[in-house]
Amino acid sequence: MDVSEAVASRRSIRAFLDKPVDPVALRRVLETAQSAPSGGNTQPWNAVMLTGEPLARLVDLVTATIPQGLAAYSAEYPIYPAELEGRYAEQRFAVGEAMYAALEIPREDKTARLDQFRANFRAFGAPVLMLVHTPRYMGLPQWSDIGMWLQTVLLLLREEGLDSCAQEAWAVYQKQIREVVAIPDDHIFFCGVAIGWGDRDETINRFPVPRVDLDQVVRWEGF
Amino acid sequence: MSTSTTVTDAILTRRSIRGFSDRPVPLDVLRQVMDTARWTPSGCNFQPWEGAILTGEPLRQLQDKMRATPPQDPKEYSWSDPEVIPECLARLHQVGADMYAAMNIERADKAARGDFMAQNLVSFGAPAVLMVYFPRVMGPPQWSDVGMWLQSIMLLLREAGLDSCPQEFLSLYARLIKEFLGVSDESHIFFCGIAIGYRDAEDPVNAFDRKREPLDSKVKFLGFD
Repeated sequence: MDVSEAVASRRSIRAFLDKPVDPVALRRVLETAQSAPSGGNTQPWNAVMLTGEPLARLVDLVTATIPQGLAAYSAEYPIYPAELEGRYAEQRFAVGEAMYAALEIPREDKTARLDQFRANFRAFGAPVLMLVHTPRYMGLPQWSDIGMWLQTVLLLLREEGLDSCAQEAWAVYQKQIREVVAIPDDHIFFCGVAIGWGDRDETINRFPVPRVDLDQVVRWEGF
Repeated sequence: MSTSTTVTDAILTRRSIRGFSDRPVPLDVLRQVMDTARWTPSGCNFQPWEGAILTGEPLRQLQDKMRATPPQDPKEYSWSDPEVIPECLARLHQVGADMYAAMNIERADKAARGDFMAQNLVSFGAPAVLMVYFPRVMGPPQWSDVGMWLQSIMLLLREAGLDSCPQEFLSLYARLIKEFLGVSDESHIFFCGIAIGYRDAEDPVNAFDRKREPLDSKVKFLGFD
């Protein structure tokens, strides 16, 4: 698969087929992704790949925790910036509204919206969940390095025919994650990535996701 | 973009290029790269990336200003926090040692090393440079989003036969760059430059071996048979 097709055909997939992922393909993806660049060659990324019984155990533990509501949340970093202006403020809710509109879940139907949000904590039915963590001493540019590595992984998954959904939502249950998976105390938990075969016929995997115009992103000088 | 480059090829042939040919970069190719890169994911779909791509006269003017100006103090941000950790420092030193060895520059030859570092100011002769900045309110997960966008760009550049070098070094001139571009220093942080052009295949600085940690020290597999 060429790069353009991988970039353009990748989307966050929120419904997966009940079809296992070949561990050999996963290893190939992660081996190749080690070539992602990083400032000073720091390679600040770390991950645990979960499937089968340990993944089921994590889903059960988090499902049992959900009724405690916000009181059980323990994210170690702010998922959203505090103050947003201009296009960022407008974008904040745009993708969620597009998704709920496609699913025909109105704003008033809080129960249905919450149920959909909670599907995050089953990794949307994906057979594999990647849990990403990094040493706490890493600074902001190293978070960018982790992003370069993450996109490398997501694009390589496309090349294998696989789909994914990057899920910062898991950060709110990092305590529960640490009960199932040994993440060092001196590491911060960043995000999950659901991995599997997307059900591309599902409405939730088909609604148009907006992007800002190129001229709002980049300026050209001297061409 | 007539050539077909697999994702794997793009990842494995991408390397930080520090010697460019002077062949210019066509605007339509760059526009196509930047247009496709918009499909990079971001938390909450914020797309927290902004930038300016400079070439020709404006790039030369900015580089002249940087060369006539000392690095800013205080820094825009620290890129070296991890270097208090011996293993991170060791990886940095290893890249430096391998790079200077490829160029036959001795460790003791501080003048030659300084001259090479100064090549950062002209982005190693690259004909185009992407300057990357974004609102200061963006936190760690948005920095990761920006990283995803940068890697999309660097891989799409490979598909177009182009090369790149990400340069956090240019943040030493962050305020000057923002002033030159008319970007608010109050609202925006400058992150890095991305040198863009065609690699000089003869330059030994583009050929040394880059080292990576073994996969099993980075990723654990649980529940797989």
